[in-house]
Amino acid sequence: MSTVIFDGVSKKFRRGERHDSLRDLVPSLVKRAMRRRPDPTALADQEFWAVRDMSFEVGPGEALGIIGPNGAGKSTTLKLLTKILRPTKGRIEINGRIGALIEVAAGFHPDLTGRENVFLQGAIMGMSRAEIARKFDAIVDFSGVQDFIDTPVKRYSSGMNARLGFAIAAHLDPDVLIIDEVLSVGDVGFQEKCVTRMRELLGRGIPLVFVSHNLGAVVQLCTRAILVDRGKVQFDGRPAETVAEFRKARRESAAPDAAAADKPIAITDVQLLQPDGEASPLHTTGKPMTIRVRYEAREPIRQPHVAIDIHSVDGVYCAGINTRMDDCTLGTLEGRGFVDLAISKLSLLPGCYSISAGILDPQGLRPLDLQERAFPFSVVSDRRDFGFVYLEHQWMQGHGTDVRPAARHEVRLVSRPVRSLAAVAVQEELG
Amino acid sequence: MSILMEVVAEQWEYRELLVRMTARDLLLRYKQTVMGFGWAIFMPLVNTAIFSVIFTRVATIDVGTPYPVYAFCGLVAWNFFASSLRFSVTSLTSNPSLVTKVYFPREIFPFSAVLVSIVDFAVSALVLVALMLYYKVAVGLPLLMLPVVVLAIVVFTAATALVISMANLFYRDVKYLFEIVIAVWMFATSVVYPIGRVGGKLGAVLALNPMTPLIDAFRAVLLDQRLPGMAFGVTFAASVVFLAGAWVMFHLAEFDFAENL
Repeated sequence: MSTVIFDGVSKKFRRGERHDSLRDLVPSLVKRAMRRRPDPTALADQEFWAVRDMSFEVGPGEALGIIGPNGAGKSTTLKLLTKILRPTKGRIEINGRIGALIEVAAGFHPDLTGRENVFLQGAIMGMSRAEIARKFDAIVDFSGVQDFIDTPVKRYSSGMNARLGFAIAAHLDPDVLIIDEVLSVGDVGFQEKCVTRMRELLGRGIPLVFVSHNLGAVVQLCTRAILVDRGKVQFDGRPAETVAEFRKARRESAAPDAAAADKPIAITDVQLLQPDGEASPLHTTGKPMTIRVRYEAREPIRQPHVAIDIHSVDGVYCAGINTRMDDCTLGTLEGRGFVDLAISKLSLLPGCYSISAGILDPQGLRPLDLQERAFPFSVVSDRRDFGFVYLEHQWMQGHGTDVRPAARHEVRLVSRPVRSLAAVAVQEELG
Repeated sequence: MSILMEVVAEQWEYRELLVRMTARDLLLRYKQTVMGFGWAIFMPLVNTAIFSVIFTRVATIDVGTPYPVYAFCGLVAWNFFASSLRFSVTSLTSNPSLVTKVYFPREIFPFSAVLVSIVDFAVSALVLVALMLYYKVAVGLPLLMLPVVVLAIVVFTAATALVISMANLFYRDVKYLFEIVIAVWMFATSVVYPIGRVGGKLGAVLALNPMTPLIDAFRAVLLDQRLPGMAFGVTFAASVVFLAGAWVMFHLAEFDFAENL
């Protein structure tokens, strides 16, 4: 079984422009001759570590999410994983065929037809002609561009382009899968197909590395996640924990000037509080949950409205609550503070969800700040119902006027429908 | 040496991609141009006509065979070399998304440029055969050496292609410099006249040009029923060493490509 090993990997880059013409060659050669052999572990002028002493391992069937702010070293890590860059120091071990869902349409040529590009891109990804020919129909079917397969791809929409590229990559049968933000490709239906395909590969026991800004997707798809910042692994844990850590770090660093200059008020964070007041990304069906919207107002905002939406990771709109429809009036929001939405009994069934929060003007029309699907969380419990909502219920049975509750018996949990891998993983760990 | 084995093995593993990239470039040319492969014949024919006028009407030279066959033969071989390099020089820099986003052996770019030119070479060789029939050029047993001569030209071309594609990636001046060098180089080689007739110090310098023994050998086996001489053997051996060295160098620099594009 394949694994991915990153052992003390460092990568050095040079800031600023490099000499690209012969005119600069002579001075640089002279300079190099004057200096002694550069020490690979030391930084020369203008150099910096994009990745510094990074170590992690991804085992068979494990899905590792890599999250972090821009410029943290995520892309460099990705390029090191896909062998495009070579580490300055350290060891990278990956055995087997690497399937990289990065720039899935990089090899496409606009003047060639979809069919010709499938063969070209397939070869670039390392498939043999026979293999592509065998999978050709499945690839075209998956991509949904059947009618245009003999049209040059320059006439494709960008969505079609990406879908065809992804379809090829999805049929690669890799030993290791590396993904970069591809979930943003195509419509909801196509995204679902992609996620299904990734799970299928995961189920076969291949390791998966997923780099994304979509925190919800990381929580949904991964079994583990690392937080990368300034080229180092800052946190390693369950996806929901790592996401929470990332939010905390971002809150700490961004707090002083969170309110953007053009916004009168900004949502600085949304926290999910458990009954004991502790912020957590994990909540339980039937237990209380408080959604705390923290804000920073640059100017006093009189009687704004606050709106909160909850979506499932699949994009289903589960709940939308706002102060206007509740005929609630908030006072004036000034400086830093928070607005709480206290939910007495969480009716969501186990799964992964995300929260959107917005602060609107007094008419409830114009958003002053809106954070869409930015705050993921997981719900766990031993409820086994289908759907998203837990309806408090009991079964009765009657005969004439005699109505009595149906008998309940203790059952051992054998299996439950799988809707969210992450939730299952979390549950297994808790249970 | 072990690096060399490694890169050759890796290239072999990716042989299908090399074929596909070559097919891509050929297909593109066929789609994008009206004349398609006609261009492979057209250019050497025009040049042959021009030099035939110069060297049979203006300044007559005796080359032992009908001049048009002599010139076309040299031009076909030279065009293979020059167009391989012309495609190679920008082969890495014109595919930035592939170089910076996907991993596969980068040699594929210059090598497929050489392969595309081999196809052109084969097409224009058909015209050469027609010319030889027209001028009733007899061929003999030395023709059996033709594959070896062609191989030697391909080896030298591939090695040069590796070096200049890499050089242009690091220093974009190479592309401009290349056009000048290739123009001068043609007239320093036995393409349209026998360069061996240049004597003195200049002749001694020109004798070092590796393309001359290669093209002379090409013409010797095709037109003169002669076996290639010592100079050819030495050049072939040197080209093999050159290719090995260039390939290893290319491989060592390969990982810096993405950073420099």
